[in-house]
Amino acid sequence: MILRRDLLRQMAATTAASFLPAAFPRLAAASPVRGGAKRVIFFLQNQGFDPATAIPKDLKESTSLSGVTLPEPINPLEPYKDRIHIINGLHGKHTSPSHSAFFGALGGYRGGIGVPPAAATIDHVVSGLLPETILPHLCIGMDSIENMQARPTLATLSAAGAGQPIFMHSNPNNLYQMLFGGIASGDVKQRHDARSKVFNQIEHLAGDYSAMLPPEDWLRYRTFVSGFRDINGLRERLAGVSEHLKQFAPARDTKFTNPQFETDWHDSLLELGISALKSGLTNVLTIASGRGEIFGSWKGLGVTTTGHNLGHMDQPGNEIWIKIRQYNCRMLVKLMQALESIPEGNGTMMDNSLIVYTSNNADKQHTTGSNWPFILLGNCAGQFKTGQFTQLDGKRPINALYATLLHAIGSPRDRFNLDKNAASLYDSSVGPIEQLLA
Amino acid sequence: MRLSFWWKLEAFAAFGALLGASNLNAKQQDSFANLGKPFLEKYCLDCHDGDTQKGKVALHELDGVTADNAEIWKRVWEQVALKEMPPRKKETQPSPLDRVKISNWITSELVSAMKEKGGFTSHLRPVKGNHLDHDLLFGKLPEGLEPPSTPARIWRIHPQEHLTRLNDLISFEPPHNPSQPGLRAHGDGIPANSEGEVKVYFGIDRIIGWVGGSAAYAAAITGFPSALTTISDPGLRNYPLLYSINGSEATQIANHAEDILRYMAYGPKAEPFQFANNPKEIILPDELKGRDIRGLAQSVFYSKEPKRPLTPVYDLIQTEGTPEDKLTSAVNFLFEALTFRPPSKQETQTYLALLKDSIQVLGKDEGVILGLSPIFLDHDALFRPELANYGKPDMHGRVMLQGNELALAINAALCYIAPDKFLKEAAAAGRLKTREDVRREVERILNDDGIRKPRILQFFREYFDYDRAGRICKDTTALKGAGGEMAKYYVTMFSMAASTDRLVEMILKEDKNVLAELLTTTRIVLDEKADLRYFSDFEALNKNPPKADRKKDFTPTAAELGYIDLPKGTPTEVRVEKAIARFGPGLGGDPKRVLTTLPAEQRMGILTHPSWLVSHSDAMDNHAIHRGRWVLERLLGGAVPDIPITVDAMLPDEAHQTLRHRMRVTREQECWRCHQKMDPLGLPFEMYNHVGLYRTTDKGNPVDATGEILGTGDPTLDGPVSNALEMIQRLAKSERVTQVFVRHAFRYWMGRNETLNDAPVLQAAYHAYRDSGGSMRALIASLVTSDAFLYRKVDQQRGTE
Repeated sequence: MILRRDLLRQMAATTAASFLPAAFPRLAAASPVRGGAKRVIFFLQNQGFDPATAIPKDLKESTSLSGVTLPEPINPLEPYKDRIHIINGLHGKHTSPSHSAFFGALGGYRGGIGVPPAAATIDHVVSGLLPETILPHLCIGMDSIENMQARPTLATLSAAGAGQPIFMHSNPNNLYQMLFGGIASGDVKQRHDARSKVFNQIEHLAGDYSAMLPPEDWLRYRTFVSGFRDINGLRERLAGVSEHLKQFAPARDTKFTNPQFETDWHDSLLELGISALKSGLTNVLTIASGRGEIFGSWKGLGVTTTGHNLGHMDQPGNEIWIKIRQYNCRMLVKLMQALESIPEGNGTMMDNSLIVYTSNNADKQHTTGSNWPFILLGNCAGQFKTGQFTQLDGKRPINALYATLLHAIGSPRDRFNLDKNAASLYDSSVGPIEQLLA
Repeated sequence: MRLSFWWKLEAFAAFGALLGASNLNAKQQDSFANLGKPFLEKYCLDCHDGDTQKGKVALHELDGVTADNAEIWKRVWEQVALKEMPPRKKETQPSPLDRVKISNWITSELVSAMKEKGGFTSHLRPVKGNHLDHDLLFGKLPEGLEPPSTPARIWRIHPQEHLTRLNDLISFEPPHNPSQPGLRAHGDGIPANSEGEVKVYFGIDRIIGWVGGSAAYAAAITGFPSALTTISDPGLRNYPLLYSINGSEATQIANHAEDILRYMAYGPKAEPFQFANNPKEIILPDELKGRDIRGLAQSVFYSKEPKRPLTPVYDLIQTEGTPEDKLTSAVNFLFEALTFRPPSKQETQTYLALLKDSIQVLGKDEGVILGLSPIFLDHDALFRPELANYGKPDMHGRVMLQGNELALAINAALCYIAPDKFLKEAAAAGRLKTREDVRREVERILNDDGIRKPRILQFFREYFDYDRAGRICKDTTALKGAGGEMAKYYVTMFSMAASTDRLVEMILKEDKNVLAELLTTTRIVLDEKADLRYFSDFEALNKNPPKADRKKDFTPTAAELGYIDLPKGTPTEVRVEKAIARFGPGLGGDPKRVLTTLPAEQRMGILTHPSWLVSHSDAMDNHAIHRGRWVLERLLGGAVPDIPITVDAMLPDEAHQTLRHRMRVTREQECWRCHQKMDPLGLPFEMYNHVGLYRTTDKGNPVDATGEILGTGDPTLDGPVSNALEMIQRLAKSERVTQVFVRHAFRYWMGRNETLNDAPVLQAAYHAYRDSGGSMRALIASLVTSDAFLYRKVDQQRGTE
């Protein structure tokens, strides 16, 4: 028997290189996920996450965070330290993380600039396992204003499968139109509808042509046609829930329309991501600060140095990196507070959520990946320990953390994206990292 | 052609018996039982059964190809195709034809097995082209080979082709000027800006001033990069199989379309105060007075005189109402501009209906913009068809391209913009039906400098990979330590690629011994203000040069700075992006260059220019492995298999050791099997450092630039070399190297890897090149008039949903 979920998952898997990663037909619904986990957020800062900027001084062994003071770069998390889990001692030596592991950071495989994804990344896999949503996986990417305008979509971190990158959105105005264009009124609504009609016509025209093509070309051309189908399908589904969406749409203020700094757009993108989570539009949000590459800009924080040179600086004690990391942490706090504000079951949305914070560059820009720190925020419906620092022995890869995450949401497996041969070299154990689980 | 291996004669004699009168594609009846298993038993299990498991590889339980064992079969394929296995010392070796046969079987099985698992196309990718034995292709032609052809297909257009089409809608480019042949002309590719980005800009020709410096200007001007992407792998990368268009790209094209249509209709998006005849006439509105407007859109000022092409889209907007003829003209104009062919009546009606619908809903101004944008997403605006849906296939199932498809294929082989009127007329008048007709048109275009042929230059960019230098991220300390200058480094590297482009074009213009000349010339095109440093001698540059002192009005001379002293040379120009042309010298904006010569004892040809050397370096140091791999693949026709995921390919981080010493780890047994083919070809370039400077010492010791050419079987090639110059000289004289160059040209112009059936085409192309004294034009004409280019194998099956 073919289950609907299987069918939908297959649809998602065959949506190559889509910026609308899959098309699921309804808002979040009940699902047999262990412990009731409902959403996961991945937040990746580029150019490395130096453990010294996150681990309290003198902490060498696993211990409770109770009674210790968080280092300055992450001190916005101090009030929340009973709800976080700092992990040190994972590795990603097999991912080539120097100058970014790109898709390998969330895939746990070898990555590189321009290298297509070798398999689905953890964020996409999780999105297929969590309760279904209209837009199961939303990716947003933050960069300099010029880059976000010139390349408003980019795929560097998330993938639906081998050779199937998922694009992140970087222009908040375009993303707003996509998510909330259907709830507008007047001229905007009229234009939204006219554009919908045009795209439907283009889909028909493109589809007609495919009948003339040889089989191999038809398969490639199908990507072109299915791209329109995704766009049109999403628009229709969003239109169907427009009343529900109205209460969650952020105010489209001057930060969107007339940004002074790139951080205005970073904040706007975060607002949209939060709205998508709170409204139940999506169950997985991937946030890429620096868009998975080794560039990025934070002039709005008073950081005038941009791009690659930021990665050449030692992060501990560096004022610039303190500003960037604190900005990340303020975003994390904002996410937690937003999810705490919405009741869900007997608690709040945050109770059923997990935020995974790390870097796509392991610990630094030029790195071998021998240490790859993470912070988990939230307990994923009671599955993860919190208020904890865990020091691992450097023998388990980031894949093991991702396998642990899958275990936590009710899809246990021995390994994630690591075959037996590779595991014999890179993983000292099998299955989840027990120290992390509640 | 020299036959260096005993098996060739025997193999070809047995060819007919082995394969019948067909080609070497795997046959239906080939299976694991009758082909795969016997092969493993005969050649592999001695060392890889349950007991032996040499290299921890056991194949005794390997069954037919499935998704689960695909990775192992892929390794078997590569090892066998590349003659890595069985080891050379083993007496029992499969014949070259047996290797081809088992390779074809494995890859066809992998295609089937991986159909639902992301697919398998590895064997069809450019980097695997050399997996087919070189000597089979250039040896005696076997009898009974099926004649060459290429599968019917669609070919997504190149991002540059897409951008030049869009640019033609909004900008005028000057015609080719024979007295300044290096300057950008209509039909040339769009040059990268100082950051290496290729964009089409709105209204650059019309800008008369701006507020602020070059950075503010760069922030304020608007443009768009191509929504289409290409892989960033080294080497050839424009195969049809690699590309489609995804939803994100389609959405971006739609967005760009609306911006372009607005510009076509209304000109620059600016406020009235920004238009003037002279920047001095500009009066800022009160709300902007006293404000810092640098970098804002309002900081750019435009001439009042329209300079963009005024097209039927402009006419439609200017006309009162929406007359049918104006609507139709706009649709037909745009369709032909974007697809390079006139629309059919049906197509006109379809797009006209969309346009009218949009106007009805949104009104004229907005409706025209939205209603015309779907034409930008027409399949023929994005994919070039080579479907050959006409005529009767010959006995081999082949149909020769005809009419517009043929004209567009010829045009796309050389140009990015629309076919010229003569080619169009030839197709329309039925004068483009035979091979001779094609030759006539191809030679006409090749001999006309006025018709720009950026596709030829692009081939050399992809073949040499000299245009990647600006994208190699350098560690600041390592850059400075190597003699680089961070402030202008990346701009200089992108600019140097443009200089190398010009040198390639000059050698193409001479059209004599093109490859050998590119490999050995001492000529360079140089930006004296920026490039000289990187052509210098590291030791001379590093002798604490005096610093400029404004107070004492002292500026050190080039010699005092340790820069190399080169002959004065002759002036020339290079193509510079118009948007940065105003930046002037040192910032990549100056098209002025000189053609001069380098000391022959230090440099020889493109492989010794900083543009190539830096393109094959990394953040901290030279990349001898990449350089060696380049020589192996592009000159010697060799290849290495993909690195297994289990390989931890990192050199030790020993900053005070030479690269050669750090590379000792590649000599470990499992690594050396592949690295012995690359490392000795890359280490001769150690006579240059990682920013391209010539050097005689390395970490305080005399440079060791020795290396070796190994395993070609050609005694005139194989053997040790003392440095890169000796190696290049030897390679440039080699017949095999020229043949490998021809193989790459074949791949580029056919958009696919060669098969054994293409051997006659390759041999003819090689002879055309050799017999003409190394003429690139003769080589291209031979390829573009070949069966592989002209004929399409027509599969009767057509896709349906």
